[in-house]
Amino acid sequence: MGGKKTWLIHAVLVFFSLLTLLPFVFTVNNVFRTNAEFYHAFFSVPNAFKQTLSIAGGALTGDDTPIEMADEEGLIRSLDKKQALRLSLTNATRGPRLAWKVIRPYMLNTLVVVSLTVIGVILLGSATAYILARYRFAGHRALFLFIISTMMFPGVLTLVPSFLLVKSLGLLNTYWAMVLPYIAAGQVFAIFVFKSYFDGLPEDLFESARIDGAGHLDIYWQIVLPLSKPILSVVAIMNILGTWNNFLWPFITNTEGKHHVVSSGLFVLSTTAHASNFSTLYAAYAISSIPLLVLFIYATKPFIRGVTSGAFKA
Amino acid sequence: MPISRKYLPLIAFLLLSVWLLWPPAEETTNAGASTKHPEQAQYVIKFAAGWAYLPDTHPFGIGKPLQGLKNVIRDFEARFPDTRIEVLTVPGVREYLVTQLGSGEAPDILNVNVENVWTDVQKGWYVPLDPFLEQANPFVVEQGDATKPGYKQWWDMFRYQAISRGKAAPDGLNYCLTFDMVETGIYYNKTLFAKLGLAVPETWEEFIAVMEKIQAHRRDDGTETVPLLVNIGAFNDWTTDLFFDQLYYDLLPGIDLVQDPTREPYLDGYLDWDELAFLHQKGFFSARDPRYREVWQKMRELKRYTNKNLMTDDLIREFVTQRGAMIWTASPMSYRLSGDKSLGFDWGVFYMPSFTRTTSPYASGQAMCVIGGAATQLEVSNSAIADTDPSLPMRERMAQSQRLKRVIEFLQFICLPENNAQIVNEYPALLPNIIGVETLPILQPFAEILDRRYTTTKWIFTFDLRFSEIQQRMLELYLTDGIDLDSFLHWQEQNIDAAVANMLKRKMPDMQRLEERWQALAPVRATMQDLPMEEPQL
Amino acid sequence: MSVRLQSPLSCYAIVLPSLVLLTTFVYLPVVWAFASSLYEFEIGADSHFVGLAHYGEYLGQDPTAFPSLANMLVLTLIAAIMRMSFPLIIARLIYALPTERWRYIYRIVFLVPIVVPGVAVQLIWADMIYSDFGLLNELLRGVGLSHWTRGWLADPQTALASIALIGFPFVGGFEVLIYYAGFSSIPESVNEASALDGCTGLQKFFRIDIPMVLSQLKLILILTLIGGIQGFENIFILTRGGPGFETTVPGLWMYFNAFSFQRMGYACAIGVLLFAIIFGLTLLNMKYFKSSEDLQGVR
Repeated sequence: MGGKKTWLIHAVLVFFSLLTLLPFVFTVNNVFRTNAEFYHAFFSVPNAFKQTLSIAGGALTGDDTPIEMADEEGLIRSLDKKQALRLSLTNATRGPRLAWKVIRPYMLNTLVVVSLTVIGVILLGSATAYILARYRFAGHRALFLFIISTMMFPGVLTLVPSFLLVKSLGLLNTYWAMVLPYIAAGQVFAIFVFKSYFDGLPEDLFESARIDGAGHLDIYWQIVLPLSKPILSVVAIMNILGTWNNFLWPFITNTEGKHHVVSSGLFVLSTTAHASNFSTLYAAYAISSIPLLVLFIYATKPFIRGVTSGAFKA
Repeated sequence: MPISRKYLPLIAFLLLSVWLLWPPAEETTNAGASTKHPEQAQYVIKFAAGWAYLPDTHPFGIGKPLQGLKNVIRDFEARFPDTRIEVLTVPGVREYLVTQLGSGEAPDILNVNVENVWTDVQKGWYVPLDPFLEQANPFVVEQGDATKPGYKQWWDMFRYQAISRGKAAPDGLNYCLTFDMVETGIYYNKTLFAKLGLAVPETWEEFIAVMEKIQAHRRDDGTETVPLLVNIGAFNDWTTDLFFDQLYYDLLPGIDLVQDPTREPYLDGYLDWDELAFLHQKGFFSARDPRYREVWQKMRELKRYTNKNLMTDDLIREFVTQRGAMIWTASPMSYRLSGDKSLGFDWGVFYMPSFTRTTSPYASGQAMCVIGGAATQLEVSNSAIADTDPSLPMRERMAQSQRLKRVIEFLQFICLPENNAQIVNEYPALLPNIIGVETLPILQPFAEILDRRYTTTKWIFTFDLRFSEIQQRMLELYLTDGIDLDSFLHWQEQNIDAAVANMLKRKMPDMQRLEERWQALAPVRATMQDLPMEEPQL
Repeated sequence: MSVRLQSPLSCYAIVLPSLVLLTTFVYLPVVWAFASSLYEFEIGADSHFVGLAHYGEYLGQDPTAFPSLANMLVLTLIAAIMRMSFPLIIARLIYALPTERWRYIYRIVFLVPIVVPGVAVQLIWADMIYSDFGLLNELLRGVGLSHWTRGWLADPQTALASIALIGFPFVGGFEVLIYYAGFSSIPESVNEASALDGCTGLQKFFRIDIPMVLSQLKLILILTLIGGIQGFENIFILTRGGPGFETTVPGLWMYFNAFSFQRMGYACAIGVLLFAIIFGLTLLNMKYFKSSEDLQGVR
């Protein structure tokens, strides 16, 4: 009885996960397909894979006839097995290789911007949330409203003034042009989450520390930060995702193009010649999501613990 | 053991990435156009070259990485050791243009479509090029042959004069250097045409008949074939101008009010924005104007044979997989089709067939005009004159700026036929606009189309971006049966009203002069039928 | 919850960095934008004061105003319903699995799609599902309903609904995890008690489970509302707000006015109105939030 029910649940979950994973599979699949293939069918097994398989099959059956294949310039050439195998591998990896050439310089920039942002957001967010959660003082509620309200400002509205501001501060073409506004905006959601988490912590902890004469800094380092470990990874991941996906701002503030991050690099890629070169574009998407995937796989457990901690509610 | 199992996926990922990301030796050898360090260069000129010629890219995923522009830049830098040209990639999104040009951070040379340029010229964001175009190209002069185009005027080097000069902004000045050409054509599936016994249509009626037959045709699996693949952008831009030209051509002697002395030899009968505004105030381009109604009615007729989803940029798949028999698109398509080794059918190109008297009583019988034009339009931004005092008038800044001088020299350099050919003809997608640079064979059909007469006007590039945006939306709604013709025309009238008001406010043209010309042409108009305005009968 | 009322100075000192950043990089631009809404203002050109004229123009004359507000409402409501139903069911199903191993696997599977860029998802839906020869039309042809085929995103009757359903069934993302967290914090005693009462299946789902994740549902609701009122990027890519104004939302119109139509002041006025709507909703919600907190205290 129970087993039957479990199978039913599996069936439903598998069905939904297939639907949900389709865009992901589509993206990865197109990494290995040429532009022409993409125009012959929206979704199919990459030709390079089919070729590799058939060459391998030929090798098994001892078939020695030369294989006719199109090379990188589209010329049909007659090749022996070894050459053909190498060519089909070259074809399959062409998209990723080109994409990597384009986005490699942006990877390091992304790393710097994302790390600085996430550190700033966690430090500022948790400190401010700690004060807001554990103390009541004049202007407390107004302060919280002041912070939370910023989630409601439409982003398009402030694009131009923010740009003029960053320019007048002399921050154009620096990492700070991205990091500082990102921290400023990103800390708000962090404060929101941290606060609801800290609200749920028992007051005794803080009380006893205070009786022992601990200052704000001691309490923050010794109690708040250690206790907020589970929620840290949630805030970090959500913040990293947000920073990762923002393309317009890095694009506009990097007028010399030296501090582009992956997202703005991809934006350039998708609006120029490369856009018609789908394998490059999709390979760039896929490559740029690898660090995120790895992050997810190793952060899922603390992440789920964090979400489960009960801070995600309103 | 549990630890190693936990990290197995991580190791797999790292290995996979290394395998994927390993840079192949043969492609990393000649990266970087310039060997010069920026600190050695007195002038670092930023050049947003546009999608077509970006060094090291493979347009449409075909062929070798591009080198042409890189080589020309190297030659230029060798000639001017104090200069370094940096090629940038810049998409023409408005947010980018507005922030960068507004703050003087834009690249020195931009590649932006003319409609975006016109909107902003009065702000001093772009440098007018006329003073330079009207003088000799120094690189031609130094070759010593006085018969070569460019020896007297840089202007003379351009093959398609009407289109190049047609890019002049409403203030009469030219901010765009028309570097190359793109033209539209209807690509058709020759194999399918042969199978159905169809010939390339010569008239609108034949065209409709061909599309009827394709629509009635069922493939072996019972599926239909879309006769014509086209998107809403083509309706909004190309079809409007083509049909307008077909139906209004005969009226031109009575409504072409002013002749621009410098451009008229090239743009015979062209209706500029002030003329369109004036004519609209006289009742043209309204629900009362029978020709104007006809423009949109014909478009609806065409829509019956097209794909249903007009809001798409991605119709090539339908043509390649033979679900569509024809696709109306621009010349780079030839290169894409020729690079496709598994196409499985023959293709050809023809141009939109012309209206006849059967199509409409207002049809002029003229062949369909040219509507395409400049593909890569290069502009010099305010960054090029950043070495001068911003409070001075544009003319003085232009005269003073040393940086601008070098920027212009670079543009003159890439217009030299030998340099131009290296860039434009590296692969066949766009047509050269420089005399002495031949059009590649695969693009020859488009060169023939470009020899036709240039359009009477370019509607969506005449007014502001708002006009074009609203026309496209309401046109799509009308074509998809969301509203009827009268509602559409009502919207369109309001749209033109608003656009005209905006233009009059910004540019303040001499409407009195137009009125005088209008009066003078009254006898000519007296012979014409079905004009929308009430005029004292002569 | 006990709270101390002391040492405000040190409190202010700790929140100061947050506030400085917020004031500089968020409020300064926002104030600039709010002030601009009172001017006829175009970047790179002279501006002049027009008072509240832009607000009057938007609410009184702009033909897009009310249709686009209605579109926004429809899109936001559908998004809210979707994000509060399918992920909830999935989370409940995962929670019902007997082994932790499978629960873990599914949680990851439903999280992975987050890394796929939105553009790729839009492209798949526009080209693979909604196009002339997309999945939907082929399906209709297959069952003999070819007269129902249409350009889903171009047809005024279906464009809005088609946009609303992009991303169906909306289960790839944080929502599943957040609801799952809610379910897993249900005390075992509650489950046992309900089992004793003979409360099982759907009945239990509606009477026990849903009330236990109410606060999570509310969080998702707020986030969806804020996102729905501000967001327009997907519409911009898919239909530009057309045909006509069938899929235009105020945020999109604001964008066009700011960057294409050279009417920054007018765009700012629309932005201020949008802010007012979100602010009003949030205040309403906060009031409700407080009362539910009180309720918990009573229980």
